[in-house]
Amino acid sequence: MRSHVRRAIVALLFLFGVRATSAAAPSRLAGELDAAGLREAVARERGHVVLVNFWATWCVPCREEFPSLSRLQERNRAAGLRVVGVSTDFEKQRTAVEKFLAERRPPFPNYHRKRGGDDQDFIEAVDPSWGGELPFSVLYDRSGRKVRAFSGKLPTAAAEREIRKLLASR
Amino acid sequence: MRLFRSILVLCGLCALSVAAIAETPAIGAAAPDFHLTTIDGKSFALSSEAKAHKAVVVMFISTQCPYSNAYNDRMRDMASAYASKGVMFVGINSNRTEDAATALSHAKAHGHSFPIMKDPGNKVADLYDAQHTPTVYVVDSQGKVRYEGRIDENYEDPSGVTSPDLKNALDALLAGKPVAKTVTKAFGCSIKRV
Repeated sequence: MRSHVRRAIVALLFLFGVRATSAAAPSRLAGELDAAGLREAVARERGHVVLVNFWATWCVPCREEFPSLSRLQERNRAAGLRVVGVSTDFEKQRTAVEKFLAERRPPFPNYHRKRGGDDQDFIEAVDPSWGGELPFSVLYDRSGRKVRAFSGKLPTAAAEREIRKLLASR
Repeated sequence: MRLFRSILVLCGLCALSVAAIAETPAIGAAAPDFHLTTIDGKSFALSSEAKAHKAVVVMFISTQCPYSNAYNDRMRDMASAYASKGVMFVGINSNRTEDAATALSHAKAHGHSFPIMKDPGNKVADLYDAQHTPTVYVVDSQGKVRYEGRIDENYEDPSGVTSPDLKNALDALLAGKPVAKTVTKAFGCSIKRV
């Protein structure tokens, strides 16, 4: 009987824990940013390993990889990983972006790319090797130095190995 | 020790040559030739068509990608406008997720009368190292790549285009002038490879 009560308490605590985590998850856009804003966002996280992921709601592989990004963040948050999402959706799809984030509740901040200027300038500023394809991810070490870029869906296992190596080096 | 160094140098050279094969063709270099069948059953060879035209515009396109679809009307209009000037437009669909029947109905729905081909096993996309749709390559009558990149900078509003990059490249080529901006970039959808 006591074990039943204990299990019930654990289950309740777990449920509250899950609710608390979900409620804390960013469900709205953190703001807009251009290339300079992105540099600042990465610089603010100095001391952490940062993975910036560029995505769009209409991009099927982007939507598919979103849960694995969330898990990657959850597994490595305590060690110092910070995932940052950047939506490149059309301006008219901003509502769809908000809806997507409200549904997915990713445990990392997401920005909308600021309109204006030439996309090419933004793409080049993020990484000269980037052709503009989505999804696209860029990994920075604890000093804010760009370590590598991933074109297409993130190869999660290989990327996590690389992230953990960076997290291990102080 | 000397043998070890030689092996290292050889390995380095091998790695470089593999990288060179995988890279997108350089501007001014020969466009990789390819033979495909159009979705309405005709055979197509880039080298033959390049010789027969002043230029061939090879467009990697998609039926589902919003960025590619944003250019459907512009592709149709440019293909039509430049046909009389000796320029041929062709569409290549390398996505494993889109079949020939879908490509055909998409072409009909958008008035695309230029040749469209499925690219089985995304071999042509690999030859060009094309990563996303839409991406275009301009190949001149000598079979050389003269431009690579986007159609223009404004996918959202055709009336607000300020940098008609493909048009500028074609006009320069037809006028016998050097193309000012030979490589451009824009957002797009990753090609769904096998």
